[in-house]
Amino acid sequence: MTYKVEEIDNKRIVHLDGEIDMEVADKARNTILPLIEAGNEVQLNLSKVEYMDSSGISVLIESKKLSEQKNTKFELTNISKPVEKVLAMAKKFL
Amino acid sequence: MNETAQANHTEKKAFLVKSSSLKDVRTFCREVFEKLQIEQNLKDELVLAIAEAAQNIVKHAYKDNPDTKDIMVVKISCEDNKLQIAFYDMGTPVDPKKIKHREIDNIKPGGLGTFFIQEIMDAVEFKDGGKPWINHLVLTKKLKN
Repeated sequence: MTYKVEEIDNKRIVHLDGEIDMEVADKARNTILPLIEAGNEVQLNLSKVEYMDSSGISVLIESKKLSEQKNTKFELTNISKPVEKVLAMAKKFL
Repeated sequence: MNETAQANHTEKKAFLVKSSSLKDVRTFCREVFEKLQIEQNLKDELVLAIAEAAQNIVKHAYKDNPDTKDIMVVKISCEDNKLQIAFYDMGTPVDPKKIKHREIDNIKPGGLGTFFIQEIMDAVEFKDGGKPWINHLVLTKKLKN
């Protein structure tokens, strides 16, 4: 997994690329959560994510919960087909 | 949509029990399902279920032994349009009741993998894998004709 963070005012756009599994979930977590913790609005661009498992979904759930605590915005954009399918299965937890 | 699989096909492969093996597990499964001509949508779901089961071995059965040199084996068999995926590991014994009776409404993020497996597969069973194996998980899925 690779990533790129774009800064626009207080918004951070995180572009994730590749496969998000247990092996790289901490890398994704450590990229996204500090941005939310700092009070930024975070957009997660998932257009280039080819695979995501429950570890990746857990990162999304934690990010959403933290953004609610911090009263900031966290949203998913350009969701790829593989991620869309996993999200559909996990929707009751999101 | 073609979900028809070739009959009587079996392949198995051993992987080191570590998180970096999960990508190799997925690659192995994709290659076997390609040979079995399983359609893309189902293939994606099966790969997810298998990867989650393998992840559970790494994450739970070897929770207290993260630097293990043990292997886990994944065996994929297809017979009479019934797909069977077997896992063998030598980690901490799993209590099947904890998995079988998990309440869906109670699932926390960490339990999502098990939920995915149960959603995707027709049956999830722990069996006796014989020595030297401690855990032997078998997932089954009936393929459409």
